[in-house]
Amino acid sequence: MAEQIRIGVFVCNCGSNIAGYLDVKALAEYAKILPHVVFVRENLYTCSENGINEIKAAIKEQGLNRVVVASCTPRTHEPLFRGTCAEAGLNPYLFEMVNIRDQCSWVHMQEKEKGTTKAKDLIRMGVAKAALLKPQEPIQSEMDPRALVIGGGIAGMTAAMALGNRGYEVTLIEKSGELGGLLLKLDKLAPSGADAVAVARKQADLVRRHPNIHLLLSTHIDEVNGYIGHFQVSASTNGSKTQFGTGVIVVATGARVFRPAGLYGYDGEKVITQLELEEVFKSGAFAAKNVVMIQCVGARNDERKYCSRICCMVAIKNAIEIKEKSPETGVKVLYRDIQAYGTENEALLQRAKELGVIFIKYDPARPPRVEAGKVIVHHDLLGREIELPQDLVVLSTPLVAGEDNEAISKLLRVSLDANKFFLEGHVKLKPLDFATDGIYLCGNAHYPATVREAVSQALGAASRASIPLSKGVMSVEPIVSTLVDEDACRGCGLCVALCPYGALEIVRGEKGRKVRVIPVACKGCGICAATCYHHALSVNSYSDAQIGEQIRAFLEESA
Amino acid sequence: MQYTTDVRLIRLMCTGRVDPTMVAEAFIEGADGIMVVGCHFGDCHYISGNYQARVKMGLASRALGYVGLNAARVAFKQCSSAEGDRFVSHVTTFHDSICEIGPLGSAEKLPLPKLKDRVDTARAALASEKLRWVEGKFTEFQNNGNKYGEKFTEHEMWRTLDTIVIDEIATHGILKEMRKGAASVIELAERLEIAPPAALKYVLALQRRGLVGLAGVDGATPSYRLVERPAKAA
Repeated sequence: MAEQIRIGVFVCNCGSNIAGYLDVKALAEYAKILPHVVFVRENLYTCSENGINEIKAAIKEQGLNRVVVASCTPRTHEPLFRGTCAEAGLNPYLFEMVNIRDQCSWVHMQEKEKGTTKAKDLIRMGVAKAALLKPQEPIQSEMDPRALVIGGGIAGMTAAMALGNRGYEVTLIEKSGELGGLLLKLDKLAPSGADAVAVARKQADLVRRHPNIHLLLSTHIDEVNGYIGHFQVSASTNGSKTQFGTGVIVVATGARVFRPAGLYGYDGEKVITQLELEEVFKSGAFAAKNVVMIQCVGARNDERKYCSRICCMVAIKNAIEIKEKSPETGVKVLYRDIQAYGTENEALLQRAKELGVIFIKYDPARPPRVEAGKVIVHHDLLGREIELPQDLVVLSTPLVAGEDNEAISKLLRVSLDANKFFLEGHVKLKPLDFATDGIYLCGNAHYPATVREAVSQALGAASRASIPLSKGVMSVEPIVSTLVDEDACRGCGLCVALCPYGALEIVRGEKGRKVRVIPVACKGCGICAATCYHHALSVNSYSDAQIGEQIRAFLEESA
Repeated sequence: MQYTTDVRLIRLMCTGRVDPTMVAEAFIEGADGIMVVGCHFGDCHYISGNYQARVKMGLASRALGYVGLNAARVAFKQCSSAEGDRFVSHVTTFHDSICEIGPLGSAEKLPLPKLKDRVDTARAALASEKLRWVEGKFTEFQNNGNKYGEKFTEHEMWRTLDTIVIDEIATHGILKEMRKGAASVIELAERLEIAPPAALKYVLALQRRGLVGLAGVDGATPSYRLVERPAKAA
């Protein structure tokens, strides 16, 4: 027997936020005549304890099986009202929210009559959809309690250690034959002056000895399938293949230093990069008498618009190192802007100046020219060109995205930004997560970072990754795609090709090739449902029928 | 931050959820304009949904435009959840343009029932398999190329889609007419306002697919009718 739909509508005044601009009494009266509505209540604040208790009481006493609240935004209050329904024994997905504040009273403050008419329409549309809502159950799935960390630089090693120390089994994959990444090429680290290689080796030692970390060097990832809690990874080490499962993945693939071929007479001997200068330091062969450093080489231009952020500090650090090794050596830094954020970095900049390092600003429209034995630069304050003697030119070049980033982004189905660095899920709210659940990022893979930043991010990413791992079972919002008409599906696979999350697959069953939804991987965007020409797929709480009913309800009175 | 009271909002998880047939249905129900608003490109909360929506809405606007609806009644815009002013500006601009066009049917210079009947044909075309595949693969063919690595420009993709739109609308128009009874190619061409040779091409294509068969011959003029078969074939 078909269920009799009994809808309760709660119209919120939101103090004067709604009641000050709309005729709330008229809205409540109007709601009473809508189809299936058996109970209407107007509240001063529906979200107050009073309001919540009225919803609960009405569900029980009036036998409501759908609840509509016309109030503010679902972004802040939907979880509360859903929870209220659940506490009163009503499936929380039989709740619908109508936004008559942000979408109505606040944006039509001078038009009470027309605004009220609009709010009536919005309530009618919400009620129409509510009548078609179906109960949903949270989707639960077991977590594979293992972690994969991609990249054995300082970020990757730190993340692996952090996860290993929490007791999770970690696989650390490094494409080269050695742990340590970019640190192995550096000399000293600012601002502490610590030896970079020693830092890397120490961490590498800990990683190698860690009982929970399974280290795979010289290893490439061939394939990644699955979703949070159930990733399947295929990798090959010198041609021999391995396969393993993991619950979460941390991307710590690092970045490369830009090689400034063709810029400022770069030759790797007399015109070198900061990285090469550090190698000269390490070999003890430094002997220059006049050093000119040029900042922003190959950065902040049309090709690479971004600021690599760390190169100013690298130059300052190396200028100080030169001055400390050889005080009589002249050091000039030609810069566009100096990035010396934070108190310690600012102190280093002051220290460099005290040691006699000269900073000269240049205009990118009139870049310095490197000639035999000298660098010519236009000095803005003097208003003319000056000549700087040199027997060594050091170019500060940006970090650029790793060459494997595109391949890895495809394997993991995660996004890259315009510069091919990995893109976080949300710039402020999810800085260490990807948009895809269960995959995290840290270090230079995301954007040029100092060692300290890379380490903080790695600890953060490991911490984020251990949230689902520690739960053992994961629960997902059931607003996901569903195969509502199996017979209609012909297994064509268009939806599978378009799904951004890899949440659909074609399986061969008794009825032939059919699509199958992997609910824990699905985010409910609805691309599949909007694409299926047989309407075999739908999205829970956003079905064709529900959206169609909203459209019809909107237009029925004005038609 | 204030805007017109003439707009009603429907919340979706992602613009990628909007099936182009929903847009056609909304016009059949009597909407004067439909605007789909989602995240900025490259900033899609659902990775690629807005790229799908861009093509779907572009296609809806072209198909509906082709059957005589003023294509400016369909808009696809971007703004982030933090850009209230931008949203207001989109709504205001769209509302102004709809006010200028006037209520559904007025700018189209077609009686409403006829316009809605033609929109319904476009709706059927928008639901067709061929369009869905090209529309779905649009961004991939543009950025990564097809199976043979051939990349297509925006212009080439739309040109392809336009051709399919024209074919599908004619095909679904013919099927719809034939549901009313058998008809000759000349009659169909007149009713659909297309050239008789084009109508013949579509009828013969439908005949090859087994959807249409010969009903009889009146003098020298053959007439055609739908072939009775299980619904799933079309």
